[in-house]
Amino acid sequence: MKIAVLSNVNMNVLIRMLGKEEGIEVYQTEGYGNELGLLYDKSSSYNVFSPDITFLIMDLMELICAELDMGQASERISSWFEQLEGALEAGKIYYISDAYLWGYGISTCSVPGIKQRLENMWLESLLGLMEANDNVRLFPYAGFVQGMGEENAFSKKMWYMGKILLGNEAQKNLCSLIVHKAEVERKIPKKILFLDLDNTLWGGLAGENDISPIKLSEDHSGLAYKNLQRVILGMQKQGVLLGIISKNNPDDAMEIIEKHPHMVLHSDSFAIKKINWEAKDKNILESCEELNIGVDSAVFFDDNPAERELVKAMLPQVTVPDFPDREEDLPDVMTKIYHEYFEKAHVTKEDFEKTRQYAQNAERSKLLKSAGGFEDYLKSLEMVMKRENPAANVERFLQLVNKTNQFNLTTRRYTLEELTDIINNPGKRAFLYSVADRFGDNGIVAALIADVSDESAYIEEFVMSCRVMGRHIEHAIITDVEKQLEQEGIKVLRGTYIPTPKNGPVAKLYNELGYTLSSEEKDGRAEYQIQIQIAKRVKRVYYVDICY
Amino acid sequence: MTEKIIALMEEVFKLPAGSISIDTKAEDIEEWDSLAHVMLIGELEEQLGISIPLDEAVEITSVKELVEKAASCQ
Repeated sequence: MKIAVLSNVNMNVLIRMLGKEEGIEVYQTEGYGNELGLLYDKSSSYNVFSPDITFLIMDLMELICAELDMGQASERISSWFEQLEGALEAGKIYYISDAYLWGYGISTCSVPGIKQRLENMWLESLLGLMEANDNVRLFPYAGFVQGMGEENAFSKKMWYMGKILLGNEAQKNLCSLIVHKAEVERKIPKKILFLDLDNTLWGGLAGENDISPIKLSEDHSGLAYKNLQRVILGMQKQGVLLGIISKNNPDDAMEIIEKHPHMVLHSDSFAIKKINWEAKDKNILESCEELNIGVDSAVFFDDNPAERELVKAMLPQVTVPDFPDREEDLPDVMTKIYHEYFEKAHVTKEDFEKTRQYAQNAERSKLLKSAGGFEDYLKSLEMVMKRENPAANVERFLQLVNKTNQFNLTTRRYTLEELTDIINNPGKRAFLYSVADRFGDNGIVAALIADVSDESAYIEEFVMSCRVMGRHIEHAIITDVEKQLEQEGIKVLRGTYIPTPKNGPVAKLYNELGYTLSSEEKDGRAEYQIQIQIAKRVKRVYYVDICY
Repeated sequence: MTEKIIALMEEVFKLPAGSISIDTKAEDIEEWDSLAHVMLIGELEEQLGISIPLDEAVEITSVKELVEKAASCQ
């Protein structure tokens, strides 16, 4: 991965350290303080290097030229952000530091709260920039300095000798933080956190006493468990699914979950609950099947070492982190688990809704059981499909094409840059679809990319989220795409199926859609095509209203 | 103290133990450039608590000078 660090102070120590990190190629900067110039100048060494991720680690005191005047500082900050915004490129990722104001004159300054006010001013501008550009992320620099303490983070000697703000130890920590952020951009996060109850979400055993004597409260060790739940709730709100895998009497456990006054997590925080006396590996496997997620996307957190060993042995794909010895370490350990396994570079709207969507899926399965036949079931879902603008949803688009394995015809993977190119390329067409039904909005669940540079268009990618598979939505999508492309003058559509170990469910999709096989290779790769005039007469069964 | 300083230098310059002696000069080793020099002065302060005055720190060009300055600053 190619990264660049740009700054208005000397970052060469950091850059030298980054250069020794495996898997990272770092831009060798020219001086410092010319970050905007390097970004703007198309022929600068920075743009020639063309990094995937750029870290802008800015020192606020330098940026305001150490003039502690609200008016002047405000002007400098907003003009810096304005200029920066003009230099951003759509296909690249930018991490921009929040501010930590350090230097001389703060404590003798007559403006009360100047440090916080200037830092906030910077933060507000940064948040505004992030809102308008989903390739801009916050780099948590202020928290990093606070974590180390000013005394340990900054080195006066190195500052005066070479405009190097941070001491050697701080440089090492900053280097790790940058490497971590770069990894988060590349890594596929886990999806579900399976939790035990007794001595995990609360202290003590449910059912042994009345509900009050379990440890879960506002003080002592009860507070440690409550804080652990607060961390977990934060994760859940970002799209981490939660599941309970616990050996209890369900009534005892549910009594606490639903009625205990200090429970931060509630019954509907969990996408699935397996509270029974079955083996935990079996419960995990079943949960993953019911939710339609891979076992390798699961993390299991349990205080009992025997249960952890069992799960490790029976389900080696599941991640099983260690459990802390001391109760006060629980919230920190969970925070670490979050950063290591679940942290996402960018949280999309779909992520906020995830638990609800998975829980709705469980309800849909119930309806399927009660409905007379499959067609009645599909009708009763009252599905509505809508075309969404790819340019406005590029992060979700990226997520879909890169994370979908089952309903994926070609399993081509794309970088943000490539997708942006596709969206802007008149020779290509990108389709994104959202689907809602009577149980709720599923968000954007399908994407299709077609090459339309010729009268015979080619579907180079077609993916759909597994949470809406098996509802004939693909028939509606293809019909809609064909209709649109016909209007644009396309006569023939071609498509490919490239088999992988995971995309078996769509091996016969093109046949079902009425396409004819034009060639097939030994490895199973198959080419299909259809005349759009013929496609119109193919009978496809779906119960989805298309709304524009 | 001399050994400690030399060990620290080898660490900062990422050189194997024994690469630096009391007679080594900055010009002898490629790794001892101006940036590494600032890191070295920073490490002396962070790790060993030795603070060489700024103007003197900039002028040091050999292990011998560094050890002498460090001794006078302790």
